[in-house]
Amino acid sequence: MDLVQLQRQLVDYRTSLYHEGFLDEQFTQLQSLQDENNPDFVVEVVSLFFEDSERLLNELSKALEQQVIDFKRMDAQVHQLKGSSSSIGAHRVQKLCIVFRNYCEAQNVEGCLKCLQQVKHEYGIIKTKLESMFQLEQQILNAGGSIPV
Amino acid sequence: MNSSNGNGSMSTASSSGAWNGRDQFPAGLRVLVVDDDQTCLMVFEKMLKTCLYQVTKCNKAETALSVLREHKNEFDIVISDVHMPDMDGFELLKHINSEMDLPVILISADARKQVVMKGVTYGACDYLIKPVRIETLKNIWQHVVRKKARNTF
Repeated sequence: MDLVQLQRQLVDYRTSLYHEGFLDEQFTQLQSLQDENNPDFVVEVVSLFFEDSERLLNELSKALEQQVIDFKRMDAQVHQLKGSSSSIGAHRVQKLCIVFRNYCEAQNVEGCLKCLQQVKHEYGIIKTKLESMFQLEQQILNAGGSIPV
Repeated sequence: MNSSNGNGSMSTASSSGAWNGRDQFPAGLRVLVVDDDQTCLMVFEKMLKTCLYQVTKCNKAETALSVLREHKNEFDIVISDVHMPDMDGFELLKHINSEMDLPVILISADARKQVVMKGVTYGACDYLIKPVRIETLKNIWQHVVRKKARNTF
């Protein structure tokens, strides 16, 4: 695939992520913060998000396996996931966290279990999609091209 | 006395924080940002630096309080997350209000009215909902000027 095709593929891919609600304008904000002084800013922030999210999702899974469920602690963890997902524009994950928090507040175990599965699912999707997008960007850079805005 | 901002260039800020002749103001505004979430902290830091502010970041409220106590008069404004383990944003706000004269902005992904109300009644000069846009951060200098003006008159 030549450079122009790669660039076109990236633009289309990125646009679809917005159209399908995976990303929102906060992600655009992140991209606008990237510059020559911090050329890897977006990748770095997103990597931190992946790290934080995986830790939180593990902790939430463990919490729901306990005999006595600490809903307050879970609520704090979901809140944190909501904050970090909103700061990178991971729109679907953020929206699910709102629902999840309601179930925590209502101390609804079934609801929490269901939500956790949904969040894990959506997180998996956005992780794969962002990694694919970064790979595409890297291919363009390796081919000597620049990332289209 | 000149201080440098995060980008390594010199601003005309004096350490006493007087604004006279600071035509680069609000560049060089000295901000302390506190958030236990490393993703959010990294984004804030970058946004604040893009605004040409001088940024110090902390991931714990206790650390932020020590920094403020040890370096009094070296900060213009504090931005803090609300929900943090150990000491939260409200407690930090209470300490800052009783010990020093700094404007504090609270930030949270929590938009519930009772929480925002608590922030305002505890004396936060503003309460922002995450995700915070850079345009909002470009205006925070107004809180600093407003507080100084209130103290003078």
